[in-house]
Amino acid sequence: MHLSFSASIDVSSRRWHGVAVWKWDVNEDVCGICRLAFDACCPDCTVPGDNCSPVWGQCNHTFHMHCVLKHLQFATQQNRPQQCPLCRQEWQFREAQPATAEEDD
Amino acid sequence: MEVDEETPSNAAAQPKAGEEKAAGKLHVLGIGGRRAKRGSAKATGTKKTPGEIRIQKDIADLDGGSVAEITFPNPNNLTSFKVKVQPDSGFWKGASYHFTFSIPALYPHDPPKVLCETKIYHPNINLQGNVCLNILREDWKPVLDINAVIYGLIYLFYEPNPEDPLNHEAAELYRDNISQFERTVKRTLAGCVMHGETFQRLI
Repeated sequence: MHLSFSASIDVSSRRWHGVAVWKWDVNEDVCGICRLAFDACCPDCTVPGDNCSPVWGQCNHTFHMHCVLKHLQFATQQNRPQQCPLCRQEWQFREAQPATAEEDD
Repeated sequence: MEVDEETPSNAAAQPKAGEEKAAGKLHVLGIGGRRAKRGSAKATGTKKTPGEIRIQKDIADLDGGSVAEITFPNPNNLTSFKVKVQPDSGFWKGASYHFTFSIPALYPHDPPKVLCETKIYHPNINLQGNVCLNILREDWKPVLDINAVIYGLIYLFYEPNPEDPLNHEAAELYRDNISQFERTVKRTLAGCVMHGETFQRLI
């Protein structure tokens, strides 16, 4: 006995949605200061994205930019040295590095 | 293909009809799902400050073991709570000490404030209940949390630090005559009046 199927379906798309996902290229999931995810935003912001980005210190530790700026501001106000909140090395911003992911045009 | 047509109209009617379905769709889109949640939190009037959000995370991670017990006198206010420490070894073994924690508005940029409610004879805690612990003062950093402070308190019971005293007399005795110090602590734990200060019986 031999069964054979052959069907041709006539499909035309009337509408489509593009869906994209992005995430920050960071090693840790959450910011050590506010304990919120890097892919979300700091507690002062409502929308994740370029306006609430992670930043790196020379020591390679990562925090939300807004969290670390607040930390440095309080350190200055209280006459304390500007240190990494994690390792206490002097805090220096690390230059952004070119994206490692392959970029497609 | 009909589903496709239906979804946008459903989203338009989102506030009234089928909230669950609308939320489901937003969730698929990721960011929107999060924003929807935030919006509803605002609507119920529970906008949290950054410090409150952070303390919520700390509380979720609390782990005092068998030595420390955390209670919230007012469950609606997470910025004020009590920690009972019952050392299982050291000079103060068996006694219970009650600490109150209050979380400042600028937490975690400012350290929590800790006060010892139980009178104690200890080199690093004075008779007013102020606690001298490095991470509560100069060595605080925002990556520390409530757990770290509780561990710090427990450590003070195991290993007092006479080099950084608040109760200078106790620190001196601890340094110069540790067996006399131990006897003095024993006496205060049994309840006594010493130099006009009343110590409650704790054991």
